[in-house]
Amino acid sequence: MRVTQNMLANNMLKHLSTSYANLGKYQEQLSTGKKINRPSDDPVVAMKGIAYRTNLTEVEQFKRNFSEAYNWVENSDAALDKATQALQRIRELVVQASNDTYEETQRQAISQEIKQLTEQLVTIANTKVGDKYIFNGTNTLEPPVQMNGTSITTSDNTGEVKIELAKGIYIGVNVDPTKVFHYDASQKGKGLFSDLQSLANDLDNPAKTGKDINEYLGYIDQHINNLLSARAELGARMNRIELMEDRIDSQQVIAEKMLSDNEDVDMEKVITDLKTQESVHRAALAVGARIIQPTLVDFLR
Amino acid sequence: MLSTFHGLEVVKRGMMTQQAALYVTGHNVANANTPGYTRQRVNFVTTEPFPAPALNRPQIPGQMGTGVTAGSIERVREYFLDIQYREENNKLGYWEARADAVSKMEDIMNEPSDNGLAKTMDQFWQALQDLSTNPENEGARSVVRQRGLAVVETFHYLANSLSQIQTDIGTQVGVTVTQINSLAKQISEINQQIASVEPNGYLPNDLYDERDRLVDELSKLVNVQVEKVPSGGNALATAEGAYNIYFMNGNTKIYLVQGGNFQSISFPNGQDVDGDGIKEMPPATGVTELQVGSTSQVGSTSVSFTSNNQVTFPMGKLRGLIEAYGYVNGQDSNGQPIVTGIYPDMLNNLDKLAYTFGTLFNEVHKQGYGLKDNSHGVAFFDGIGQVTDAAKTIRLSDDINDLANIAASTEQKQSGNGNNAINLANVGGMLLSADTISLIGTTNTIQISSLHLPLTSGTIQTNYQGWIGKIGVDGEQANRMKNNSDVLLQSVDERRQSVSSVSLDEEMMNMIKFQHAYNAAARQITVVDEMLDKIINGMGIVGR
Repeated sequence: MRVTQNMLANNMLKHLSTSYANLGKYQEQLSTGKKINRPSDDPVVAMKGIAYRTNLTEVEQFKRNFSEAYNWVENSDAALDKATQALQRIRELVVQASNDTYEETQRQAISQEIKQLTEQLVTIANTKVGDKYIFNGTNTLEPPVQMNGTSITTSDNTGEVKIELAKGIYIGVNVDPTKVFHYDASQKGKGLFSDLQSLANDLDNPAKTGKDINEYLGYIDQHINNLLSARAELGARMNRIELMEDRIDSQQVIAEKMLSDNEDVDMEKVITDLKTQESVHRAALAVGARIIQPTLVDFLR
Repeated sequence: MLSTFHGLEVVKRGMMTQQAALYVTGHNVANANTPGYTRQRVNFVTTEPFPAPALNRPQIPGQMGTGVTAGSIERVREYFLDIQYREENNKLGYWEARADAVSKMEDIMNEPSDNGLAKTMDQFWQALQDLSTNPENEGARSVVRQRGLAVVETFHYLANSLSQIQTDIGTQVGVTVTQINSLAKQISEINQQIASVEPNGYLPNDLYDERDRLVDELSKLVNVQVEKVPSGGNALATAEGAYNIYFMNGNTKIYLVQGGNFQSISFPNGQDVDGDGIKEMPPATGVTELQVGSTSQVGSTSVSFTSNNQVTFPMGKLRGLIEAYGYVNGQDSNGQPIVTGIYPDMLNNLDKLAYTFGTLFNEVHKQGYGLKDNSHGVAFFDGIGQVTDAAKTIRLSDDINDLANIAASTEQKQSGNGNNAINLANVGGMLLSADTISLIGTTNTIQISSLHLPLTSGTIQTNYQGWIGKIGVDGEQANRMKNNSDVLLQSVDERRQSVSSVSLDEEMMNMIKFQHAYNAAARQITVVDEMLDKIINGMGIVGR
């Protein structure tokens, strides 16, 4: 084949520009840390990239939801703990008052303390975390217990506050208020606040005997049990949430790894490729410099 | 008898011819870097020998040569390689246009990245998840509203940017059509010049070069074929004649150039931007056909862009651009034209996505309750009355200005109920092919078929991913084909160069050769001169 200077020059230019394009590709990969920069570089990687990102965002979001779930469960547990302590004190007082040796004024003093403890329990039931009442089911903007002088009304909202902690898994995080903080005067032993109110009334009533007061022990125990079972349930739920968090943690690691495997560049490989390309480029330049220079013109006088 | 000065005449011819060859060498060297230049060579031919065979010829032994003359000056070129070159150049033009269009789209879609539509939507779902854990919180509601706004704005940005590029491509189509028309005109003019030179027995080599260069250029824009028409008169056998240039529409030849005449391409419903009477800009509603005719009578031949749902227009940059810009391909069930193409398809997909997303989201939103007693059945998005242009018109509903109207709850008056927010956060993953979709926290279901969504398979997320994948595949193919045809073009070009390009070494060799021949001829004159001197001055002087 007949070869001319122009052809050599064109070829050299072509090879140099291909070489530059390769260098540019490696430069881009090294500076962005990504294998691909646009979908056409590798459509499959691009498509997967979008899916993995969505997946990762989801997992990260679930992690965020966990702290919210802990917030609920831990605060509920702490409040119920305080409520149990208050009830235990009330139980002690009832045991004392059920002695018929106590005088009227002594019983009244006990009644006073029980009224104070009742108010304490109302405050606990109206615990607010952030801007929400945690013991009013799903109606979180209103206090569950309204106390107006001596009259007490409680909420009957049994709604469950659900938080999504994994794809399609929703966990209730609140305590059903009707099971612990309730007012129901229809039957003794049913409502916490109604029982406490009638207990205080009975203590104030000189006609009531120790036997009458003693009756309340059973009711108070019932309420303590209710609190304990609510706490046990919370504990069990907390346990489940912790297990799920472990799983989501490992899921996050997996999701990040998949994202990275899919689109992150393999540094050693790219740097090696870059070095190889660099020497190819140098060779191309050197060859060009040697070939383009001399022609017959240079040797004829 | 040979004449006395025969020797001088022979040598004079030799000198003149070598001189001519040296001048051609000079022309070659001078044009070594001229684009499209083909090296030229002088065909040396011996002149008629003496004596010519005739009745009263002198009786001498054998015929005596009478020297040399420059028979013709012709280009060293292989026509077959031109055909190959143009074929590859044509493909390259097509794939370059496509690769360029896809690449611009990729730039706008910006996927996969942390700023694309997918990420914006992910963040929206994330905000709704946050709302589900804190439904009574104004801040969480405000974030949902802002993120919703971000999604809407991303839709607007994508749709408007794509439309902008589409318009730019339309302008490019216009420029390409103008280019084609101008090339056709230039070729016809060169044809005319050639036609006036050739009948005189000359070869207008430089005009041939220029014409071939123009045809090369034209071949990138539209697939053309060349027919040679001899000039007649005293034209040499090696004369190339006029070029007739046409492209094929099915089996019909459509002439662009016929000798000294040319026809212009235009779009029947297009727009004339430069006032020359040719509508070079394609219609905004997509290309149906092109018309080919002389400027004074546009519309003599219609060339439809598609036939039986297949693009039948010849390959080249013009076709690539029109495929990106949009062309009419059949009619839908309502008799409306279906505009398809790289950009219209993507815009259409975005509209479908915006409509499906907005409508489905609204439907779920309407199932829920806001913080106020009466905030139920409220729409979140607005401006999605129809699929067409939904991506450009979708916006947040005015009702959402009141954050309490965001329906996070599945029950009335339950501020802490975030179930509907969870449902809303799941809209992106809802199966669009399902009959009904059940929601958590309520027994209400969503009847997908009654919404008449334009997307009926996968989910909102997978549909979007699929389109990004499709752009990727389109781009990958275009880039690969572009590179392939580029490599082929280079190799054909190299072969063509191998035949036609000027080698300075070779010219240098020829120069020396011709120079020596010229010098030798001059020396020969001295010899003849000395011989004549002997005859004239040295002979017949015996006894003087």
